[in-house]
Amino acid sequence: MIQLLQGLFDGVAMGAQYSVIVLGFVVIYRATGIINFAQGGFVLIGAYVTYNVSQTWGWNFYLALLVSILVTAGVSMVVQRILLQWVLRETVGVALLLVLWAVLYFNGWGHVPAVATAAVVGLIGYGVTRRIEQHLGTGQTKELPVFGSIMVTIGLLFVIKQIVPSIWGFSELNMGDPWGLNVTKVGGLVLSHAKLWTIGLMAAALVAFFAVNRYTKIGVAMRATHFDHEAAVAQGISLRVVFAVAFGIAGGVAALAGTTAGAGIAQLTPNLDLVVFFAFPAMILGGFDSPGGAVLGGVIIGIVQNLTKVYQPEWDLQWLGVGFDRVAVYIVMLLVLMVRPYGLFGTKEVHRV
Amino acid sequence: MSRPWKDLKVRYQDDLRLFGSPTLRAGLVVMVFAYLFIPVWWETFAVTRLVEGWGLTMTTLNYAGIFAIGALGLNLLTGYTGQVSLGHSVFIGVGAYFTAYAGATWGLPFWLWLPGATLLGFAVGFLIGPFALRLRGNYLVVVTLGLVFVGDHVFRNWKSVTGGNTGVSVSKASLEVGPFDFRDLTLFGHGFEKQQSFFWLIWGFVAVTALLVKNIVRTRPGRALQAVRDRDIAAEIIGIDLFRYKTMAFAISSAIAAMAGGLYGTLQAYVSPIDFGLLVAIQYIAMVILGGLGTVHGSIIGALFVGALPRVIDGLAKDYDLPGVGGDKGGLEGILSVSSLNQVIFGLLIAGFLLLEPRGIAGILARVRAYFKAWPFSY
Repeated sequence: MIQLLQGLFDGVAMGAQYSVIVLGFVVIYRATGIINFAQGGFVLIGAYVTYNVSQTWGWNFYLALLVSILVTAGVSMVVQRILLQWVLRETVGVALLLVLWAVLYFNGWGHVPAVATAAVVGLIGYGVTRRIEQHLGTGQTKELPVFGSIMVTIGLLFVIKQIVPSIWGFSELNMGDPWGLNVTKVGGLVLSHAKLWTIGLMAAALVAFFAVNRYTKIGVAMRATHFDHEAAVAQGISLRVVFAVAFGIAGGVAALAGTTAGAGIAQLTPNLDLVVFFAFPAMILGGFDSPGGAVLGGVIIGIVQNLTKVYQPEWDLQWLGVGFDRVAVYIVMLLVLMVRPYGLFGTKEVHRV
Repeated sequence: MSRPWKDLKVRYQDDLRLFGSPTLRAGLVVMVFAYLFIPVWWETFAVTRLVEGWGLTMTTLNYAGIFAIGALGLNLLTGYTGQVSLGHSVFIGVGAYFTAYAGATWGLPFWLWLPGATLLGFAVGFLIGPFALRLRGNYLVVVTLGLVFVGDHVFRNWKSVTGGNTGVSVSKASLEVGPFDFRDLTLFGHGFEKQQSFFWLIWGFVAVTALLVKNIVRTRPGRALQAVRDRDIAAEIIGIDLFRYKTMAFAISSAIAAMAGGLYGTLQAYVSPIDFGLLVAIQYIAMVILGGLGTVHGSIIGALFVGALPRVIDGLAKDYDLPGVGGDKGGLEGILSVSSLNQVIFGLLIAGFLLLEPRGIAGILARVRAYFKAWPFSY
C-alpha cells in the first residue's frame, strides 16, 4: 500500500512535468495549428540558461528560473517570427547575428561582447532589408503546409540540440537547485523536496495559465483564434500578437519544465529533450487542443509510467525488458486512441468533403 | 504541313508510358550505361577521383542506394497515400535483423532470406495499417513515433534474436544469386571488390523497386491511393475500399523497407539498434521531402542527397579548414564538431527547403523542365 502511494506520488511529480510540457504543445497548437517539435529544444535552452544564471553567474536560483523563463519565451517568439512566418528581414537580421557571433567567438572574443556586436550588426541588416523590401514591395509572409511545419520544427530541434552542447559541453552538470536531495518522511512515504517543488511550481504555472486563458483579454483572443482564425481577424484580433504570445507561453513553460527536470537527483545533460518524447502520449491522450486534457493526460501518463516501473519487478514481468515503462505509456495511449481517436478531450475534427 | 511536336501524346497509354519521349529514352540509355560502368571506371576519371576526395565514394553510393529503396517505400506511403509515417526505420530494422538471423543462424540462401525479409516486413506493416484507418493527420504521426520507441525497445531487449544493445553481425548471410556470388565477384577474368559488386546488386534492386512503385502508381491502385491522399472520405464515397488501400499501402511500403533493411545489413555487416532509431526515421522523411513528395525520381534524388551530404561534409572538413569547426586540420578548437555540423546543416536544410521549395528537388527539376518546354514563351 505504501508502495502504491509512493508510486502515485512520484508519478504525479513526473506527470506534473509532462503536463507542463504538453501545455506548451497545446498552447501553440491551439493558436497556430502546428505541432512544435522544437519544444524539446526550448526545454534544453530553459534548463541550461537557468544553470548558467544560477551557477556560472551566481544569482539566486529562483531569480535564475525567472530569467530563464523570460529568455526562453523570447527565443521562442523569435523562432516563431522567423521560421514559421518567414519574415525576410528578421531572418536576415538573426542570420547575421548568429554567423557573426560564431565567427567572433571563434576568433577569441568572449560571448557577451560577441553577442552585443553581432546584435548591432544584425539590427543594421534588419533595417537595410526592411528598406529594400519597402522599395520592392515584397513584405509578404508565406504559409506552410501543416506537415511541413512539423519538419521545420524538427530541423530546428536538430540545430538547437547541437548548439546547446557546443556552448555548455556534453558532460553532466549540477543545476545547483536549493532542493538537492532533501526529503521529508511522512509515515512510510519519502517525499523528495525536489518533487514537491516540481508539483508546486507546475500547479502554479497551470493555474496561472488557466487564469490568463479565462479572465484576460489576451486569453479570450487566443481562444477566439483557436475557434476561427478568420472571425478573430474580423473582430480586430491581431494574429501576430496571438501567435507571438502563444509561442512565448510555450517557451516559458518549457523553461520551467526543463529546470525541474534537470534539478534534484537527475543531472543536466544535453539529452534532456528526450523527456519531451515521452510527453507525446500525454498530449495525444488529452487531445491536441485541450489544456485540461494536457493536465489530465500528463498526470495519467506520469502515474502509468511510474507504476509500471515499480510493479514490473514485483509482478515478475522482467521479460518485458528494461525500459518497458516508456513503451507502456505508448501502449496506453494507443488503447485510448482506439476508443477515442481524438484523445480524451480533443475536439473532433469535422471533415467536409 | 508541319510535323507535330515530337512529344505530342495522342492516346492515354502514351501519357502513361515510362519512357515516352526521345529525351527519356536517351536518359534510359545513359542510366543503363552508368549502372554497368560506374563501378568499373569510378577510379579512373579525374572528375570522380576529385569527387571521391570530397567524400563521395562507392560506399556512399551504395548506402544511398539502400536509402533510395527505403525512400521509395516511404514515398509510396506518405507521398502517394498521404499517411505520414515517422516509423519507417522500424521496418528497415525488421528486415535487417531477420537477415542476420535467417542468414547466420539458419543459413538460408539469398533467394530465401530476401523474400523472407520482405514478407516479414509486409506482415508487420499489415498489422500497423489498420491504425491508420482510425487516426488522422497529427495523431497518426505521433502513433508512428510511438512505433519507433516500441521497435527500439524490442530491438534492445529481444537479445536472443537481435543481440540487444550491442547488435548482431550479418556477415554470414549468403549473397549468391545464381552464378554470381556478390561477396567475391569474378567476371570475365576480373575480380571485383565488395563495394563494386554491391553497387550492382543494390542499384539493380533500386531499379526493380522503382519500376514496381512506378507501376503501382500509374495504374488503377495508384489512382486509388492518390484519391485517398487527397480526400479519403470522398474516395470512400466513390467506392474505394479505405481499409484495403490504406493497409496495403502500409504493408507494401514496409515490405520494401524490410528488403532495404536486408541489403543494409549485408552491406554494413553489423547492425545495432541505433541504426534504426528516431534519427534514421527522420532522415527518411527528410529524403522524401527534400527529393519531392509523390514522385519516384524524387525519392532517389533525395536519398542520394541525404546519403551523400554527411560524407561530403566529413570529406570537406578533413581537407579544408572550415571556420569554427573542429576537425583533422583545425584541431579540436572549433565550436562544433564535424558530426554536430552535419546535424546543424541537416536541420537547416530541412527547414530551408520546406520554406523555399516545398516540392523538393523534383519540384525544382519540374520547373526547369517546364521552362525549357515552353521556351521561348516561358514566363
